Amino acid sequence: MKQTTVGVIGAGRIGRMHTENLVHHIPEATVKAVASPHLDQDWAEGLGIPIRSIDNSVVLGDPEIEAVVITAPSGLHCELIHQAAAAGKHVFCEKPLAFEPGAIEDVLQAADRAGIILQVGFNRRSDPSLLDLVETVREGRVGDVHTVRVTNRDPKAPPIDFVKRSGGIFLDFLIHDFDTIRYLSGSEIVEVYATGGVLIDPEIGAAGDIDTAMVTVRLANGALAVIDASRQAVYGYDQRFEVFGSGGSVAVNNTTPSMSVVSTTAGVVGRTPHDGFVSRYRDAFIAELRGFLAAVRGDAPVVAGAGDALAAVRAAVAARESFNQNRPIRLVEVPVAAGGGTRA
Amino acid sequence: MRTITVGVLGAGRIGRLHADNLLRMPGVRVKSIADPYADFGAWPPEHIETGLDPSLVLDDPEIEAVLICSPTPTHAPFTEAAAAAGKHIFCEKPIDLDPDRIRRTLEVVDAAGVKLQVGFNRRFDPTFSRVRQAVVDGDVGDIHIVKITSRDPEAPPVEYVESSGGIFLDMTIHDFDMVRYLTGSEVEEVHAMGAVLINPAIGEAGDVDTAVTTLKMASGALAVIENSRQAVYGYDQRVEVFGSKGSAEAGNETANRVTLSAGDGIRSDTPLYFFLERYQASFVAELEAFFASVRDDRDPPVGGRDGLMSVLIGLAAAQSMAENRPVRVEAL
Repeated sequence: MKQTTVGVIGAGRIGRMHTENLVHHIPEATVKAVASPHLDQDWAEGLGIPIRSIDNSVVLGDPEIEAVVITAPSGLHCELIHQAAAAGKHVFCEKPLAFEPGAIEDVLQAADRAGIILQVGFNRRSDPSLLDLVETVREGRVGDVHTVRVTNRDPKAPPIDFVKRSGGIFLDFLIHDFDTIRYLSGSEIVEVYATGGVLIDPEIGAAGDIDTAMVTVRLANGALAVIDASRQAVYGYDQRFEVFGSGGSVAVNNTTPSMSVVSTTAGVVGRTPHDGFVSRYRDAFIAELRGFLAAVRGDAPVVAGAGDALAAVRAAVAARESFNQNRPIRLVEVPVAAGGGTRA
Repeated sequence: MRTITVGVLGAGRIGRLHADNLLRMPGVRVKSIADPYADFGAWPPEHIETGLDPSLVLDDPEIEAVLICSPTPTHAPFTEAAAAAGKHIFCEKPIDLDPDRIRRTLEVVDAAGVKLQVGFNRRFDPTFSRVRQAVVDGDVGDIHIVKITSRDPEAPPVEYVESSGGIFLDMTIHDFDMVRYLTGSEVEEVHAMGAVLINPAIGEAGDVDTAVTTLKMASGALAVIENSRQAVYGYDQRVEVFGSKGSAEAGNETANRVTLSAGDGIRSDTPLYFFLERYQASFVAELEAFFASVRDDRDPPVGGRDGLMSVLIGLAAAQSMAENRPVRVEAL
């Protein structure tokens, strides 16, 4: 198989994870360069990455690099995509591409003009269980879709510093759920109603965000969906999905790192779910990058494109407005005009 | 244990179910059953008096407690008549669909000083009681989220839908009570989104067959109820209470615990198909609790106020869906 030469921009937690996956688990990729302002040189050297820098131009200016993995902070995503597109490099970018629909519309158009592949990091679309679920729905085994349910609970509330620059729970956290609903239902979100509260940490409220949210969604095909989300489930990363329809239902429950069950007089105790997204979606993170590389080679369609990113962000913005105004918001109320963003 | 003499009003499906349960219950003696429309036939056993006129029960001084299992529009007048006759009352839900009518009835009951229990049987289901116990024991900590899945196995006939009061007052009303029971908190605000996805005739009758209702509780907790009039695989009844210390979750009950593993999948039997099967134990337990309250002169575990609150929430949900906005529940 043809190898694709890849550069990575941003080596924070998720950047390091993607880089390690590329090096250890994805033989069709060669990581030539990694750039990050606080780069851990030892880590990068240990992975055998030849070019290691705090300067992004070593990635963007290298003609040999065909594809860029952007895992820089969210606020830099759009500008980096524009630069990569201008350099003719294919882009895999972590979510969210931007907090404003207009900025995403801009990068979508730039990617189209440059003729590059642009994939967004909606990792759940590459999870084996969710792939199975969606195939079951597409095969018609649950009939017409009536309701979609997503439970999304993190094991531990993030630090307040993160909350402050996260874009808020709807854009940072539920963004995955909006994409999942579109993915599982095969339909578009037309209306959302969001409610929520600060039930875990008052500091999150003081930072202007909420930590517990519930969103009801109406889809274009008539189906309904509901998301319940929490920033902290003490028992672990709670990720459950269900599609219910005229022919039955299909569900994905939590996976656990160990399947052991201890039965004693005190009760029957199984292991808790994974302790976070890195372990829960380990296979999905590898598969999404392999999917991206397949799209770069022209072997497969993009798993999640800028259009998907735009749709999810519009739903998230609508949910945020719904929560702020305490009324249902139709997505047509969320402007999409290009140029409305914060292009530097 | 002191034996309580009981009369039953209404010998339809639920009346017969309750009466049959009472026939096997220690400390209770069923004296008479009245129903103007019943064809009693071989049921009930001969020693029980039957008649068409409710006065058979209501005017019998020996009868201490009455079960009201007649059609909904008769609940309020029968409750008032029974209270006036000094009889304790177990009434099927809803007491009425009009909150003002319920309030008037509750005033009559209060003035008479009799016990009134409303038939929210699910509170007495061993599984859901265990979830509530986990909440009471503090196992889930402060409640953040309550999730209820409530799907019927088969959509009712359209004629039934037309006279049901709508999905929120007919079906979701049980779930509203369950949210109040599990959280021990009151509902402050309701938002409901509905759709007609199962049977267009239900839509033509002015109702929906699929609904997602979110509730804001006084405690700050959030709740969501997902309803469907038809789950082809059976009666889907699940609850989850999630909080600061963890979650308590109740799955569906099946007739057996067998797993069949084959080349094409791992299979277990579908959930119990019908509410009479799924909630069998709860129907017995709710009556045992009612008679214990009468015997021990205690307040029944589910009172008239609970009956009123669930109707108020149901009306708020219906209004929310009609007006497409969240609606605050009318203060009691």
